[in-house]
Amino acid sequence: MASEGKIGKATQASDSFQSMGCEFPLSSSLESNKVILSPMASTFNPVANQMPTIIVGVADFKISTEPSTCLATHALGSCLGITFHDSKRRIGGMLHAMLPTASLHEGQKIREAMFLDTGIPRMLTALIRAGAKKGDIRCKVFGGAQLMATDHFFRIGSKNIDMFYRLSQEMDLDVVSWEVSGRVNRTIRLNNQTGDVIVKIPSKPEFIR
Amino acid sequence: MKSAADLQTVVEMTRSIPCAPAILPKLLKLAEGSSSDLGEMEMLINLDTGLATDVLRTANSAYFASNQRCENISDAILRLGSKVLYRIAASTLTGRWLVHPVRGYGWEPGDLCRHSLCVAICAETFAKKMQLADAATAYTAGLIHDLGKFALAYANFTALDEITNRVPDEFATWREAEKVILGFESTQVTKALLENWGFPSTFVSVGYYYQTPSECPDAERKIVTLIHAAKHVATQIGYGVGVDGFYYEPDEAALKEVGFKEEEMDAAIPEILSTIQRFISPSGEIRFT
Repeated sequence: MASEGKIGKATQASDSFQSMGCEFPLSSSLESNKVILSPMASTFNPVANQMPTIIVGVADFKISTEPSTCLATHALGSCLGITFHDSKRRIGGMLHAMLPTASLHEGQKIREAMFLDTGIPRMLTALIRAGAKKGDIRCKVFGGAQLMATDHFFRIGSKNIDMFYRLSQEMDLDVVSWEVSGRVNRTIRLNNQTGDVIVKIPSKPEFIR
Repeated sequence: MKSAADLQTVVEMTRSIPCAPAILPKLLKLAEGSSSDLGEMEMLINLDTGLATDVLRTANSAYFASNQRCENISDAILRLGSKVLYRIAASTLTGRWLVHPVRGYGWEPGDLCRHSLCVAICAETFAKKMQLADAATAYTAGLIHDLGKFALAYANFTALDEITNRVPDEFATWREAEKVILGFESTQVTKALLENWGFPSTFVSVGYYYQTPSECPDAERKIVTLIHAAKHVATQIGYGVGVDGFYYEPDEAALKEVGFKEEEMDAAIPEILSTIQRFISPSGEIRFT
């Protein structure tokens, strides 16, 4: 098990990762009332519920090189929770970013994981340092819930989604699942063995992406 | 359950919950008063063993400790000052009430407490930055703004499930669904509870109007709008937000009238989050003191 900066032994390659379908939001602000869904995995793995779990706080990221661990973060709200998984080496990471850009805070001491535009590069650097290969990393993105439509207030969810979409293009990220937008508060758990992400929404059964 | 009489039933049911934050109005008054009130404050705190323990623990914590240990509440009051003391009392008493396990709104245990704490911290931050209200008052208003929902969940209304099932397909907002399915709104329950406990009118107005600040009388519209803004920012942050959380309509006119600007609100989030994380651990555990 490892968190940021602590590197464990890389595992043997595994071809078990199955690419999931994905649907890119053309414009999240236009889709504010819709949950953008990708197809659900067909089976639920209860073993993941019993695996040691590393908790990722808001404005934080963690990585793990231990296959039999989970990474989890609670209550994303309008934040984005992004999972990164190298299925060949079973190295996983999770970022819980609150805001799209650190540009509003120029000259101030910032927590890089607070912002997408500083957190994602930091996350990738840490994963590669831990042994992951950029070309083998698959990302899944969750959260970005949106309040009811307003023209001038409370648009963090849509700004986060727009920023992540832009960054994913610029950084050539392989994003295989989008579970974003809508009016739901998501809790996610990444199974580092399989790359599956279990999603929990209040009053709904868990499902896998 | 569908009539106005049921509102009274909900309020009556919550009387059986121990540790209601009913002594808060009195403590608030004392915290605003002169040093001659310290004796009375000490007496009030000593009535509640859990609260007295929290006060002593905080006074002797690394942050406040000096060479001498505080052995009694009287010393602790002098060391902490009435404002800090009030904050501890508000958090402890309200938090204890809000963590009772309840069914409804898709909450995990402690969720309403986590969310209310976030609203309180957002409100306190904006109150200081924009000078819209006294920071301690804003903090308390944030803590208590949604007590009515807790009461509804405690009353174990099956109608809450019906609301969950019919929003958003049949009702665009949670408020509309409450009106039709329950026959009243959770804000009416909050109002009734706060009036019963003798809270000042400011808090009653917050509880009643925070979802629709434009409808609030002028005298209290600023603090009500402050809580409205804090509520929505806290919802975006996510802690403890239930199934209803994203189904409330922001009141743009009220926000603009009071002077809120989106960029400034977003810029305050890192500071707000740092404060929240002093009280809520990554796994969601709440540490009030």
